[in-house]
Amino acid sequence: MRKADVSLSLKGEWALRCEGITKAFMGVVAVNGATFDVPRGQITALIGPNGAGKTTVVNILSGSMLSDSGTEHIGELEVSNWESHDIASLGLMRTFQLSRELGGLTVLENLLVAPKIQAGESLFNVFFRPGQVRREEGDNVNRALEILQTYGLYALRDNRARELSGGQKKLLEISRAVMASPQILLLDEPMAGVNPALIEKIGGYILDLKAQGMTILMVEHNLNVVEQICDHVIVLAEGRTLATGLLSELRENKEVVQAYLGEVIDASTTR
Amino acid sequence: MTQVFYYIFTLVFFLFDYFILAMGLNIQYGETGILNFAYIGFVAIGAYVTGAVSLPDSAGTGQHYILGLNMPFPFNLLVGGLTASAFAVLVALISLRRLRTDYLAMVLISLSLVLYDICNNFVPLFNGADGLYNVPAPLAGVLKLTTNSFIPVFAIVTGIIAMILWFVMSRITRSPLGRTFRAIRDDETVAAALGKNVFRRQLTAMLIGSFYAGIGGGLIIQFGGSFNPSAWLPGETFVVFTVIIVGGVGNNIGLLVGSLLVETLLVHLPAFLPAIPGHAGLIEYIDAMLIGVLLMVMLWFRPQGVIPERVRKSSALTKLMPVSSADVLVHENALNEGGNA
Amino acid sequence: MQLFWLSFGFGLVTASVLAISAVGLSLQFGITNYINFAYGDFMALGAYFTFVLNNEVLHWNIWLAIVAAAIVVGIFAVIIQHIILSPFARRFDKTFYVLIVTFGLSLILLNVIYSIWGATVRFYSVPINRAMHIGPMLLTAYQLIVMAIAVVLMLGVHILLKTTRLGKSMRAMSDNTTLAMTSGIDTKRITTITWFISGMLAGLAGAVLGLTEGNLTPASGELFLFVIFAAVIVGGVGSIYGAMAGAVLIGLATEVSAAFINPAYKLDVAFVILILTLLFRPSGLFSRPGKG
Repeated sequence: MRKADVSLSLKGEWALRCEGITKAFMGVVAVNGATFDVPRGQITALIGPNGAGKTTVVNILSGSMLSDSGTEHIGELEVSNWESHDIASLGLMRTFQLSRELGGLTVLENLLVAPKIQAGESLFNVFFRPGQVRREEGDNVNRALEILQTYGLYALRDNRARELSGGQKKLLEISRAVMASPQILLLDEPMAGVNPALIEKIGGYILDLKAQGMTILMVEHNLNVVEQICDHVIVLAEGRTLATGLLSELRENKEVVQAYLGEVIDASTTR
Repeated sequence: MTQVFYYIFTLVFFLFDYFILAMGLNIQYGETGILNFAYIGFVAIGAYVTGAVSLPDSAGTGQHYILGLNMPFPFNLLVGGLTASAFAVLVALISLRRLRTDYLAMVLISLSLVLYDICNNFVPLFNGADGLYNVPAPLAGVLKLTTNSFIPVFAIVTGIIAMILWFVMSRITRSPLGRTFRAIRDDETVAAALGKNVFRRQLTAMLIGSFYAGIGGGLIIQFGGSFNPSAWLPGETFVVFTVIIVGGVGNNIGLLVGSLLVETLLVHLPAFLPAIPGHAGLIEYIDAMLIGVLLMVMLWFRPQGVIPERVRKSSALTKLMPVSSADVLVHENALNEGGNA
Repeated sequence: MQLFWLSFGFGLVTASVLAISAVGLSLQFGITNYINFAYGDFMALGAYFTFVLNNEVLHWNIWLAIVAAAIVVGIFAVIIQHIILSPFARRFDKTFYVLIVTFGLSLILLNVIYSIWGATVRFYSVPINRAMHIGPMLLTAYQLIVMAIAVVLMLGVHILLKTTRLGKSMRAMSDNTTLAMTSGIDTKRITTITWFISGMLAGLAGAVLGLTEGNLTPASGELFLFVIFAAVIVGGVGSIYGAMAGAVLIGLATEVSAAFINPAYKLDVAFVILILTLLFRPSGLFSRPGKG
């Protein structure tokens, strides 16, 4: 059975768990034993000082990178060495820290690339089942336009994605991932470099997604946001899991404070 | 029938033939981003196989070649195309997964040179440096063609084939498959992160594109009746790239324009100019230089080509769909709000 | 067995030419991060400039001609890089544009050579060499000199990279250009110098190839290019020492195989080795992470 055919049914407490993930680049250790569970149906934050290995962990979890050791489970399935397209087909979508839009395609086309199984991607179907392809396209286009409307990008649907502003590209990243109907969403710094009004909006979108049953893991520096919308927090420092729990507890945790020495973790001063 | 008449129809033939070749390379490079520097090798395979299967058994012909099955047109053409395709799949399986762009280009250009070397030296394969000749003219018996009427008729036949292939290619590039190709071209990592099996799609592009290459090559040997290594030095791949880049990457009409400009004006017109005495072949050399210069100039001043790739608007997509009342509501709301971002 | 040692000797000669050219290509690739497909034509230019100095116009001693020609090609490479390649590389973020430009440059240079010197085979004006017995191998004095040049150049490159500041800057740029820039390395100057060295090595290798092959044709550089590619990939892309190792391996393998199969295909053997490497050890013998 091909990996793409496996369907994911998440039940139980956690959606995603990883254990003992390590990764080194040219002798420099980026991740050194990351272990954590991501609870199902909740918004979990992955925080930590710069260089803690957060983006590397996201890359490994989503399959873009192979870990040197360690295991990863999505639901009951072990996916430790799966490639990114197989993990994506399973139902885990990720966004990128620096927005990577498909520049030459329009905003609408960016979303249309996302759905998992499209009849129109098979050469046979393109010529011998045009009706089915047309119907699927129709459904996908409708859904894409709805999502674009939700995220406020409807007016830009025919613009080439590379023409969008920074904030718009961030929205495109998220809406494109949502289009694929993921069960797990990995967001890599979705608020980075975005103005305060948009931060609020994106926070709202993320809460809506949680209400729809999605499990969300987000890498985030803005602890104010983390406090407002996240249910659970994982702290990564020097490539390993330092602590997990609620943000309020973690603020009391001496080790966590140490790790952030020089970085302000009092929410009132990040406003 | 005057000399000029034949000349014009010869140009017409090459216009359509290079259009077919350009479409093939376009699906690989223009749509999917694969730098196939070995493209001319696949064209050659198509030509040689088409010729070899339509010739009678080699014994007694004075030539050495494999196959020799007396296959009629258009079956020989199809066999040529499919062989080129099969070879492309083999090449892709070995090299596509393991190499990034520049290394892949290195390996492919080496492949092209090696294929050339083998065909040039290994006589039992396709008659070595002499190449295949006396390939029977297609449809000659069926249509009672004379040597006079062959050129214009076959040029038109090629045109018809080109139109059919254009239609097919259009369907592909407009489909979700075409969109996935372009996504891979723009950013492979993102395409994979969205669940696309990049390698399989690249394989598909190689397969389709090489089929077109094989057909284009097969048509050349059918038109001229012969084909030898001097017709496909590895640098010829570059001419096809120039057609695409000049005409417009990722745009089928642009390819036709590119084919017209590059192939007809630059390559074939000078062949009819008188040679400069004392400098054999100088015209060809300067010609080739001009193609290289043309490409650089185009790439610098107008990289999108004469006819740029068009933006695929949502209106083109929505008008193909059965509209439900809910859809109408969504659109009306959106229009009323005027969009917001 | 006699045949083996004879071929082994020739193999060392081929390996020498390969080593010079492969190292030149690797050095440039390390700095610019794109392959120059016109490299083979730079080699051909080196051969033809040598021809002009040695046989056509000035009648210089062959070695003098070779050195002079190499310097000229080095300068030429810098000019080309400055006027054509760098602007294109800076303008487009995807490497394939500049790759196509180098492909186009190759076409132009090849035809310039054809236009000036025609397709007729050319020869250097060198005294006849007698082959000498070096152990079980049979080599001419010139072939020995070529091998010596290769060894000297390899040592020179090694010393350059390991001990000089220039070499260290080159290695830093090769690993991470942005980091090198922010560390205060004058990347423009290093790039220019690297192109000069690379062009010089190309010109030298091309000229020497004319010696070892015994004749010059305009396309001989281009045809040799794919053997260089094989050496570089087998050795491990991005690694200079890999290029040297690959050159020895490919050089020996092609010549030794010529003792057993039709010699017309000996260069194709290089390609077979390349394919086998891709299938079983795609990163090559010594690979540098980040380049593969």
